[in-house]
Amino acid sequence: MISKENRNPSVAAKSVAMKKPESFFAEQPPRKIEMAPAHLHQLTRRDVLLFGAGALAVLAGGGFVLPQVTLWRLGVRRNMDFPGKEWFLNKALCVDDDVAEALYSGNRRVPTYSKSQITPLKNNYNGVPPDPGYIFGWNLTLDGLASGLSISLDIRNLTTRFSMHEQITRLVCVEGWSAIAWWAGLRFDDLLRAYPPMSQAKWARVESSVNLDASGNPDPYFMSLDMATARHPQTLLATHFNGQLLNVDHGAPLRLLVPVKLGLKNVKAVTRITYVAEEPRDYWAERGYSRYDGI
Amino acid sequence: MSHSTTPANQPNSTSTLPHQPHVLVVKRHHLLVRWSHWLNVPILLGLILSGISIYWASPVYQHKPDPNTGNFDVAADIGIWICAHVPGLHHYSSPPDWIYNHMSLGPGMLALALRLHWLCAYLFMLNGMVYVAGLVLGGGWRSLLPRRTDVFDALKMFRYYIGFPFAKLIRREWLHPLFNAKYNALQRVAYFSVPVVGCLSVATGWAIHKPMQLHWLAAIFGGYNAARVWHFWLLWIYILFLVPHLFLVFADGWDTLRSMIVGWSTRVQPPEVIAHDQ
Repeated sequence: MISKENRNPSVAAKSVAMKKPESFFAEQPPRKIEMAPAHLHQLTRRDVLLFGAGALAVLAGGGFVLPQVTLWRLGVRRNMDFPGKEWFLNKALCVDDDVAEALYSGNRRVPTYSKSQITPLKNNYNGVPPDPGYIFGWNLTLDGLASGLSISLDIRNLTTRFSMHEQITRLVCVEGWSAIAWWAGLRFDDLLRAYPPMSQAKWARVESSVNLDASGNPDPYFMSLDMATARHPQTLLATHFNGQLLNVDHGAPLRLLVPVKLGLKNVKAVTRITYVAEEPRDYWAERGYSRYDGI
Repeated sequence: MSHSTTPANQPNSTSTLPHQPHVLVVKRHHLLVRWSHWLNVPILLGLILSGISIYWASPVYQHKPDPNTGNFDVAADIGIWICAHVPGLHHYSSPPDWIYNHMSLGPGMLALALRLHWLCAYLFMLNGMVYVAGLVLGGGWRSLLPRRTDVFDALKMFRYYIGFPFAKLIRREWLHPLFNAKYNALQRVAYFSVPVVGCLSVATGWAIHKPMQLHWLAAIFGGYNAARVWHFWLLWIYILFLVPHLFLVFADGWDTLRSMIVGWSTRVQPPEVIAHDQ
């Protein structure tokens, strides 16, 4: 297969003629190349050195993005928590948030289930449940309205003035577990129509009565929600859970139910909704989780 | 890293070459295939380590909480068992965390693990595209296509690998099955399946990452919870592939490993010759 008469000392490597493949899908016979050993050796050395340099670069990059605790366990005793690490990972996270936002469609409904598919829903409080005493004087306060007023609504106002909607949807936690539950309440969209937010509003800041940490100290919960999600027809301000009035564990008397978001955006015992132009702070985003949380 | 065959790139020392015999090499792996192959090492490692850290937050395999410890995680049970039975681990500080301390980034770092997992997941998808581009540009995809005879031939190869150490022990001749392709049937089955598994990992990953917007995708795998189980077990297929892959590559020799670094191989003879050489 090698054409010996063409062998030219000044050409260290050259291609050797090959057979045509029988069919498009058939494996082609390997293309043989004639090479001078010195040249081959040189190429090999170059590529193996490049490979080694690449491996070292990846190792360094891995050290850059790995958490300090993991590095510590691997025997790295130097502090590798550079300020750029947070920035870099946040950047990677923003990409995912942008993808999530691009995937969102206001017309797309999340799957609904039948009552026989309902599963238990655990109370996943990060801290201790609040003292139920708050329920008696409870009010929902709306701020950032087009009228410029601050509106306070009690639970009777909310349940009698708005039509109630029921849905059996899945609540998905960032931890990975999920539960199918039967909810009833008013549509957030109906509240937005009744009390329109100011025209510049792009976000809702949602606050809660659930604001104690594990040792019972104040730990306010606040969450950002984009207006597109607030207007989704399956975004409810729920008053009922599995056919019963909400209990303290599930956010009495009114909880936000956003099935298109992770569970951590489904704020329990909502006390205040403020419409704002700039993205507000978010409790879990400040603790390293994503801020859009669309699922 | 491509190998130029034009005279313009030749070193000046080639004038001494007529005294040296020339060697024949064959192109084995396209540059993009080689790059994406090696990039899979850190990316998959990152995905697996961060993935098991994410698993910690809500294990797929749970039982009723232990009345004494409150533990419900099967992976924690395995850690406790390992620390109780493996010599030298009896004083391990936190046996339930043993698995997570050794097979993941660590327990209790969900937010960070999620970030790293997504970073690696996007890189994994990009890398997969680079791999496919390399297969198309180099024509290497043809060598991966399954053939009708593959199931039977793969079993023959499997029998060869299993029997090889025993044959060596009793000093019996143990012939490598004949094949005249770039890969033997077992390799072809493996190298064809692993990219398929990669696609399934990506698909199940999207299904559990966006179970509402992509609920049809979750439904394909039997719903959100089932997709999580799929995603978990697909990880073990990589490990099932990697163990013999690493072992055989080193057993096969430097030429095979080198060809994934430099792209060419000196094994140019028909494979029948190689087979009878052994």
